[in-house]
This record gives sequence, structure tokens and C-alpha cells, in this order.
Amino acid sequence: MTWNAFLSLLDGAGLTLLISGAGILIGVPLGFALALIRWARVPVLAPIAAVYVSLLRSTPAVTLCLLIFFAVPTLGIEIGAWTAGILTLALVTAAFNSEIWRAGLLNFPADQLEAARAFGMPAGLRLRRIIFPQLWRVSLPGLVNEATLLIKASPAIAVIGVAEITRAATRIGAQTYEPLPPMLAATGLYVAIILVLVGLQRFVEKRYGRIGAQA
Amino acid sequence: MTDSETTETVLDIRGLTKSFGSNVVLDGVSLKVGKAQTVCLLGPSGSGKSTLLRCVNWLEKPDQGSVYLSGRRIGVREGGHMAMSNAELARERARIGMVFQHFNLWPHLSVIQNIVEAPIHVQRRAKDEVMAEAEILLDRVGLAAKKDDFPSRLSGGQKQRVGIARALAMKPELLLFDEPTSALDPELVGEVVAVMKKLAEGGSTMLVVTHEMSFARETADEVILMDGGRIVETGAPGAFFKNPKTERARQFLQRYVS
Ligand SMILES: Nc1ncnc2c1ncn2[C@@H]1O[C@H](COP(=O)(O)OP(=O)(O)OP(=O)(O)O)[C@@H](O)[C@H]1O
Ligand SMILES: [Mg+2]
Repeated sequence: MTWNAFLSLLDGAGLTLLISGAGILIGVPLGFALALIRWARVPVLAPIAAVYVSLLRSTPAVTLCLLIFFAVPTLGIEIGAWTAGILTLALVTAAFNSEIWRAGLLNFPADQLEAARAFGMPAGLRLRRIIFPQLWRVSLPGLVNEATLLIKASPAIAVIGVAEITRAATRIGAQTYEPLPPMLAATGLYVAIILVLVGLQRFVEKRYGRIGAQA
Repeated sequence: MTDSETTETVLDIRGLTKSFGSNVVLDGVSLKVGKAQTVCLLGPSGSGKSTLLRCVNWLEKPDQGSVYLSGRRIGVREGGHMAMSNAELARERARIGMVFQHFNLWPHLSVIQNIVEAPIHVQRRAKDEVMAEAEILLDRVGLAAKKDDFPSRLSGGQKQRVGIARALAMKPELLLFDEPTSALDPELVGEVVAVMKKLAEGGSTMLVVTHEMSFARETADEVILMDGGRIVETGAPGAFFKNPKTERARQFLQRYVS
């Protein structure tokens, strides 16, 4: 494998990080919104959110990606491959994230909310001051786990020509007739990305501690 | 102690009814609590005591009847027909302090943060002023040294005293207690009861659900016995504990007072 080939793999890694990162940045809050809508049983929206989650959880990312890439332009909206890729990953991960957030919401201690209501906190304040500061800590491991799954599922967007790590590696392999070195390098890159992600989680958990830990 | 006829009424509950499905939990309950009075609510498990307290601050919406706090109706707008919005209800609830059997502290907040949370974010009072008051309150419940601890580090008795300080920080017109000592180890009951007695003597207006008969006997201005969603006997503690008027009260006292 040449130096240039390795550089193109690194480009692929950058693209994987960019598109997965953007997908996660959109998908985590979107998942939270979906979870809230279902948890609060918002009329009309809650059943729609439930159907959305079931549908997205059962659609392969590759299929969804192709669907978005080819269907969105028929609505008269231009969509580039990167945008389609980000949208795919965001929509898929939002569905899974919403289940993580929702589990945390459903398990949230009712007595704390009762106290918050008795003390005159409206719903928004309860969410912001009482629920969320505890919920994110509880949900963090699940969310990071989902993020690692997403990064590993991200080669799906190669079908629409996005040269992320795996596609870059395949291309190098095809050009050099030596598929093994680029694939090994690709594996190393994924492992590095995931290790950094999990390291970040550890750091945040250490830094911000457990709920109610001594400051 | 003052006479209920001559003092200003803080809480006035009239004809409250509440059912869960076919289970009638409150069946026309009326009672008053005068300013600076302590009224103790007694009754067997399931008699509707907690539901009554929860109806007072509208955590539970009563089916019929009305609740007045210092003359103002709770849950229903002036005029008497429109229900209050959630925001309006929240404002009314902030006028009432509540102390829970299981403390219900917020575990991610330190002791002092638990106390200042609602005054700052609900009542929107100045932070400096609220913090200074909270320190005084903590001192009053004997927990000045624990101000920066988290609830998980406290004993049950300490948690409940924080719960009481948290309720007081709202400067409520009325304090509701729902079995504040029932979840405590016996040796920790005393410290909480002592704080409550001090409050009662200091002029707080309190409606207290309790199984702590000594507290009722020594501190209450009035004792009310509930059974099956109704008030079955009302009286001054002296008379109630020595000469109960009803057979139901005699049975209850035999079971609960050793
Ligand atoms: N949210 C609810 N849904 C259905 N039933 C309820 C609800 N809350 C209370 N109940 C029922 O209402 C009845 C009275 O309950 P409540 O908690 O008011 O009694 P209590 O006098 O406080 O009893 P305890 O001494 O055990 O606390 C019980 O039969 C209970 O099962
Ligand atoms: Mg009860």
C-alpha cells in the first residue's frame, strides 16, 4: 500500500467521522424529542413517533440511504451524497436513541416528579432542572453504545458513492490487487475512532460523576 | 392555643369527593385549618388521607367540592367555572409546602440546592437572599454542617429535616405533611418530631397526616379521624384521646395507641 493510498484512507476516515458525527449530533436531540413526545403522550404526535421508531428500527440503513438519495430529488429538492448520508444516519440513530431516552424517562423516580409538581414547577422546569440533569447521566452509556454501532453501520452510505473508510479501502484493494493491507488499516481506523469515543465517555463520567456524588 | 372560630381560616376544604374508578376514596370531606393551627389527620391505611392532601394542592383533581387557601379557590378560576391552567395551578401550589413520607429529595442537588431550587426557579426570588435564608433554615433544623452534602449521604431523619427546610423555604401559607416519620427508623423519629413541634409552636399552619400519636396528642389543636373516605370524628386532642365519641374512634385508638 502506497503513502497516497494511505492518505486516501485517512480522507475516508475524516469523512466517516464527519458524516457519523453530524448524524449523531442531529440524531441524539432528535431521539430525545421523539422520546419526550411519546413519554408525555402528546396527542396525534405520540403515535406518529411510535410508528416512526418501529419503521426506522426495521429498515436497513443501506435501503434507507438509497431511498433518501433517490426519493428526495423527486420532491424537487436537490440532495447531495453527503447530505443524504448524514440524513440517513441521523434518522436511523434517532430511532434507537429515542428508545434509550425513553427508557430513562419511564424509569425516572415518580416521587421526585411529585415533589417538583408540589413545589410549583411547571413541566418545562421539571424537565430542565430535575429530569434532564439525571437523565443524561443514566442514558450516556446507552447513547455511546448506539454511537459506536452507528459508526460501524456507516459504510452503508457507501452505496451512494460516499468515499468513507470502507469504500476507500475497497477501492485501494481493487487498484492494487492487494485487498488485505487496506482492509487491515481500515479496521485499525475504526478501532481507533471507537476507542476515542469510549475514552471520551469515561472522561465525561469521571468528570461529572455519578448522580448525587460528593462534589 | 387559639380558637378556630376566632382565627382567620387558612385552609377551607368543602365537600371534597374523589373516586378512582368505582373506588370512592373521598366521600364528602370538609375541614378547616385556622392560621397558626396544627390539625392532625389520623386514620387507617387506605382511608384516603394522602388523597385528601394531594387534592389540597391539586396534585390530584377532586371530582367535586372545593379547596380555598386564604379565601382563594384553588384549581378553579375566579367566577367558579373555568379550570386553572397548568401554569396557574403551579403558582397556587407554590403557596403550599409539602413534606413527603419518603422525603422525595432531588438526589442530583446538594442539601442547600434542594432548598433553594424552587424559591429561585419557581418564585424567582433573588439568589443571594434565598441562599442566606436557606442557611438560617438549615440551622433551624440542625443541619447547618450538611449544607453541601448530597442527600444520598444523609440518614433518614436528616433527609426529612431537609425536606421540611425545603418546604419552609417557599414561605408557604400552609404546610402539608404526609406521614413524615413513617419511613424512619424508630430512633430517628424524635429528631423530626422535635422540628415539627418547634414549627407548630412558632406559628406555622400545618395539616399533618401521622401515625405518631404522641405528636398529635401534644401538638395538635384539632385531631381528625378519617375512615373510608369520610371524617368520622373531630375533636381537641385531649377529648379525642381520652373520651372518643364514636365507636370507630375507640377501635382505632385501641389499635394504634398502646
Ligand atoms: N392514583 C390512584 N389510582 C388508583 N387508586 C388510588 C390512587 N391513589 C390512591 N388510590 C386508592 O385510594 C385509596 C386511599 O388511598 P390513600 O393513599 O389516600 O390512603 P391513605 O389513607 O393515605 O393510606 P396509607 O395510610 O396507607 O398511606 C386506596 O384504596 C388506594 O388504593
Ligand atoms: Mg398515605
